Amino acid sequence: MININKVISASALVVMSSSSFASVLTPNANNKLTALTHANIFVAPGKVVKNATLLVENDRVKAIIEDNDIPQAALEIDLSGYTIYPGFIDPYTQYGIDYSFPETKQTKPIYFNDRIGGNASNDAIHAEKEWFSYIKPDAKSAKTWINNGFTSVQSAKLDGIFRGRGVSLSLENDIPNKVIYQARSHQFMSFNKGSSKQDYPGSLMGSIALIRQTLSDAKWYKENYNKPGTLSQPNEIEFNAAYEKLGNLHKQHIIFETTSLNNQLRAARELAEFDLTPTIVGTGNEYSRINEIKALNYSIILPLKFPDAPNVADSDSAKDVKLAELRHWERASSNPAALAKADISFAFTLSGSNQKEFWKALRKAVNAGLSKQDALAALTTNPAEMANISDIAGKLEPGYKADFVISKGDLFDNGKIYSVWLQGNETQIHDRSLDNLAGNYQLTLNQIDFDLGLEKGTKLDASLSSGEQQIELDKVKYDNERLTFIADLSGADYQGVTRFVLWLDGKELTGRMETADGTEYPVTAKRIKLDTDSENLTSKNSQDSDKKTSFVSKTTHPNVAFGFDALPEQETVLIKNATVWTSEKSGILKNTDVLIKNGEIDEIGQGLKAPRKAIVIDATGKHLTAGIVDEHSHIAINGGVNEATHAVTSEVRIGDVLNPDDVNIYRALAGGVTTVQLLHGSANPIGGQAQTIKLRWGDTAEELKFKEANPSIKFALGENVKQTHWGEKFSRRFPKSRMGVDALFRETMDSALEYEQAKKDYDDLRRSSKRKIVAPRKDYRLEAVNQVINGERDVHIHSYVASEILMFLKVADAYGFTVKAFTHILEGYKVADEMAKHGTSASTFSDWWAYKFEVYDAIPQNTCLMTEKGVLTSVNSDDREMMRRLNQEAAKSMFYCDMSEIDAWNMVTINPAKQLGVDKYVGSIKQGKQADLALWSHNPLSVYAKAEKVWVDGKRYFDIEIDKQKQQQVATERQALIQKILTSGTKMKQKSEAPIFKEPEWHCDTLFHAWDKSHNHSH
Amino acid sequence: MKKHLLTISLLSVASMISAAAFASDIVPAATQKQAVLLQNATIHTAANGVIENGDMLFNNGRIVEIGQDLNSNSAKIIDLTGKHVYPGLVALSTSLGLVEVNAVKESVDNREVGFVNPQLSPAVAYNADSEIIPTVRRNGITYAQVIPTGNGIAGQSIVVNLDAWNIDDALVKTGPQMNLYWPSIRWASSDPTVYKKQLESLNKQINEVHQAFENGYRYYLSYKADHDVKGNKALASMLPLFEGKGQLYVHANKQKQIEQAIAIARKYKFKLVIVGGYDAWRVATSLNEIGAKVIYTNVFSLPQRNDDPVDQAFKVPSLLKQAGVPFALAIKADWNTRNLPFAAGQTVSHGLSKEEALKSITADAANILNLKDIGSLQKGYKASFIITEGDILDQASGKVEQLYIDGRKVDLNNRHNQLYQKYLKR
Repeated sequence: MININKVISASALVVMSSSSFASVLTPNANNKLTALTHANIFVAPGKVVKNATLLVENDRVKAIIEDNDIPQAALEIDLSGYTIYPGFIDPYTQYGIDYSFPETKQTKPIYFNDRIGGNASNDAIHAEKEWFSYIKPDAKSAKTWINNGFTSVQSAKLDGIFRGRGVSLSLENDIPNKVIYQARSHQFMSFNKGSSKQDYPGSLMGSIALIRQTLSDAKWYKENYNKPGTLSQPNEIEFNAAYEKLGNLHKQHIIFETTSLNNQLRAARELAEFDLTPTIVGTGNEYSRINEIKALNYSIILPLKFPDAPNVADSDSAKDVKLAELRHWERASSNPAALAKADISFAFTLSGSNQKEFWKALRKAVNAGLSKQDALAALTTNPAEMANISDIAGKLEPGYKADFVISKGDLFDNGKIYSVWLQGNETQIHDRSLDNLAGNYQLTLNQIDFDLGLEKGTKLDASLSSGEQQIELDKVKYDNERLTFIADLSGADYQGVTRFVLWLDGKELTGRMETADGTEYPVTAKRIKLDTDSENLTSKNSQDSDKKTSFVSKTTHPNVAFGFDALPEQETVLIKNATVWTSEKSGILKNTDVLIKNGEIDEIGQGLKAPRKAIVIDATGKHLTAGIVDEHSHIAINGGVNEATHAVTSEVRIGDVLNPDDVNIYRALAGGVTTVQLLHGSANPIGGQAQTIKLRWGDTAEELKFKEANPSIKFALGENVKQTHWGEKFSRRFPKSRMGVDALFRETMDSALEYEQAKKDYDDLRRSSKRKIVAPRKDYRLEAVNQVINGERDVHIHSYVASEILMFLKVADAYGFTVKAFTHILEGYKVADEMAKHGTSASTFSDWWAYKFEVYDAIPQNTCLMTEKGVLTSVNSDDREMMRRLNQEAAKSMFYCDMSEIDAWNMVTINPAKQLGVDKYVGSIKQGKQADLALWSHNPLSVYAKAEKVWVDGKRYFDIEIDKQKQQQVATERQALIQKILTSGTKMKQKSEAPIFKEPEWHCDTLFHAWDKSHNHSH
Repeated sequence: MKKHLLTISLLSVASMISAAAFASDIVPAATQKQAVLLQNATIHTAANGVIENGDMLFNNGRIVEIGQDLNSNSAKIIDLTGKHVYPGLVALSTSLGLVEVNAVKESVDNREVGFVNPQLSPAVAYNADSEIIPTVRRNGITYAQVIPTGNGIAGQSIVVNLDAWNIDDALVKTGPQMNLYWPSIRWASSDPTVYKKQLESLNKQINEVHQAFENGYRYYLSYKADHDVKGNKALASMLPLFEGKGQLYVHANKQKQIEQAIAIARKYKFKLVIVGGYDAWRVATSLNEIGAKVIYTNVFSLPQRNDDPVDQAFKVPSLLKQAGVPFALAIKADWNTRNLPFAAGQTVSHGLSKEEALKSITADAANILNLKDIGSLQKGYKASFIITEGDILDQASGKVEQLYIDGRKVDLNNRHNQLYQKYLKR
């Protein structure tokens, strides 16, 4: 008889009605009722019911019974000493998908994909796929998960950028119809175009642009596809399967795979543009930017793999290991704890983990401070949410699927998985009966009580003892509940060797022994006490929180060598008695004081009084200038600088791929540089959108952006855009000549104008007409071109020879915009009159030439000739090394053509600031401007000058004295970590192991394929 | 068939050249005919300090006397009050005359196929008419070492003066110079299978280096036994190395590579010069033990390791100085060779004195080449020098006004100036 009050639901809130309970009592031959008794049951993370029964009916949890008073119809399995956890859920797998994408017969370069079944025009988009259609349970591969305690997974083909809609299913080996828990779970995405052979997108920023365009298209499609006129109107709308499926993306969740922390943040930011918050497959170093993650509010799926230590045993290879890599070795296992501490929801996945070491890694994470409750949540309730199956999986509440794990001991400590139940069916991992056998038994022979001890180590050990007496047992075997051994029982008056056969029957051993004379005697051994783990799960949990992991590494902003312990703050500084190069009409002021306050240049004059708490710097003999502005650079960029796959790629944005971890930011600061325009490369006539940044080392990618700067875009002319140096395969893309480049500009701008007109026409329609007529599709590529024509986006055009410069001036005149700047412009001196007349400007190299044919007429007097003719001229670097010496580059115009000091200095400060549209804020020393300043040891144009202090927004981002300390700290921290690795005896990477991928140093013409990681470039 | 193809490509090269006019029309100066006395200059001797108000008399291409208050009856006198005189700069490790325009492959002659090419010499390919040379000269560079590039034993290098009709009047005699580019993985792949291949190939190449020297050594042993030894001409060109007459220039930056090079030098008693030398200061003791020298080429480089100090590349010369390793500075370059004085200037704010920096591109560079009559201003030395307005190491002040090679006053005009003058007239 079962007392209804004793049956509780796991949450203790759901009280079963007697009628529903009645079914337990109703014998039903078709019902499989199993009672797993006397177990510790984790009903949900943090909720343990001890010594209770889990009642399973068929494939579902029926009840949790606290007093083990089980229904009569139930088959009892005594799980005394065992723990039951909800089955684990892997939210990110490719399990059971039986499908391959068709392979194209086209040869590279592939500009257009094969169109099949209403697919999207890019082969990296498979949004129309619903992966349940291809599910075919695969017992063999399921084993990897089941052995680790997983019972269900979310699965999709992990290929492409839009990967299609996943399916959540049980790992049980049954027909798909039975194992599918959620046929349409979530949309899978990544930045990686995967198996697509189509060239576009060839860069990370290209992938982001493709996502942006696709999400926008899907929205447009949804709004327009069902308009009554769509089939009859002239602006009919073509069917698109991918857009159709993306129409309800808001109702789905997005599982986004990334390969770097920066990419996680990019994915989250990009999706936020469309009000979508994804779950992101993480990379294990989330602790480095935890606040940013928290702010973007996304959840994370974590592979559990901690890197082996870098090989530091060889002191030569150790030198090449980055501090960041050493730090990560030490901190990787504390990453899950850091996420938990920040209250960021996360789940673990076996994908990307070492499947055989999954639990070892998980325990390492627990040792590094992850609470067991959070760990369990990351395997159950959190992934259940992410797989959209939280109403049937992740907990052991009545009605939930009977998916669970039985373990001996605490799995998060040193426990072991014994069996995994999938939909009410048990898969044994370890023989539980062997475990049941272990313990002490009272065995009575000849009225002497013996203590039979059975201990399970690597093999089964048995001993027989009575008081002081120890009897050795030999040939101990246990198989299928049958225990055999031999013993010398002469002490109990049995001569010779006695043989035992005992059967484990519940809690007793019964059987026989055969003595030397062949007589058999019945034997019974009663269990004395169970060999249970007397652990107290909750109290152990509380001990965990006291556990402290000690680190010798620091975490810094950014978390690489030379990062800041704490970001610099705005300071009030009075710089006294400096030679001040104003880059204003006032020229160079001797013995002058400058006060920095609230991030601005507060006052310039002589004998200024220091405000309270101001830092006073005696700058006698030193030179104060505006921070250097570089019109042309490619530092601090991830995933390629060229989207080289089409002639026009104005939709891609450098601003999407800023890399705030690039040490070249710090190196450039050391050269007095504070503002930089990061340009797309020069691989195509209309390249991508540029991003002007301030070198706020340590800040986030978004904070690097110089928000007041003009929007700008890179255009390019000449050999690079003609694909001259790309190899013979690249013979099909227009343009291949300077004639074609001109034609391409005009055609593109005509299209942009037509597009703009179409939008205007639509906007002018009456509401009622709008409901019937398809709106023009938003085209990010043409929008950017339109911004150029409308003067809303500045063109910085890569250019060398006179003919092409004149050509583009004519194009600009024809379309009515002013070219903001010609960059490189090495033959600008030949057409300086025309440039001045147009009102454009020039940003050039000081002395580069002869590296390719189109620069054979380049001369170092170019700057002087252009300046002479009234062309605003700057000197740029386009080179991460030379960038640190732009002051010297400016001085070369004094050397080659007698430019004045002031003109030369303006070429790296106010002139480029004007070109970037930031001259109102920076580029000169003027009251009220942002305090972006450099203090130099000598005349800044001299080769002997060193930047000693550099401020951005009144914050000191570089100081030569602090740099000396940093150099020392980096060296010390490296040594400490190397010693820690060497003394810990930890596993090190093999010397023959491939190094961690390192991006190339981007140049204008670096052609890098972000996905197969190949690259080449010539200047 | 092959020959036919060659003819076609030669033709296309010829047409290319005529179209692009890769030839300067600046006439080399004639031999010095009259003695010249420079007076009242600040003379930076690069050997014996600075002479204020100094005079220098030179005749027949050589310095006759240097000091103060010199007199001469026959000499033409030039008053250089306020001006500076420096030795002509010596640019090591360049591809001048071998590379005109890097991306125009028809104009590139500094690289051969194959891994072991000790027999190659730039002398046969040197284009004295390169348009680049006058632009380099204009910045005070009078001599250049011209090197082949490649992977492995790339060939010999030569030294030229930069005002000549062809190689015969350009060549400055030196001992044989062999160039070995220490094998390295240019871009380590993160793909395990590719990386494995890269490692295999690296090891194979390092073995090839050892094998090449062993073959050379066997040849040398046979040669010692019998001077009429028959055999590989390529191996014969390695003889001077084993005889102690030549120098082995090993192009290497990393400590491990340099140590490997030292091991080879020890084994065969080679005279070793490390070119590149980013880590050379770390290996100073071993380098000094075998009397090796360093040509440091990385002043204008980023730190070669991510965590290195931001100014590491600038500091290495002073670290070499402290460690007592003989060194010179160079820029491994073609057109960019002209920035050599500024590279030296850059080291001054990072630990070298101005005088040391100057020596690193004059006297110390000549010392590496074992040339005893160029690179400094002293009696009996070649009258190869420059006259500047100010400090030659500083682009803000160091304009070169005159340049002499072997007492010949060299035309400082160049392609750049010509185009400048042309467009000044527009």
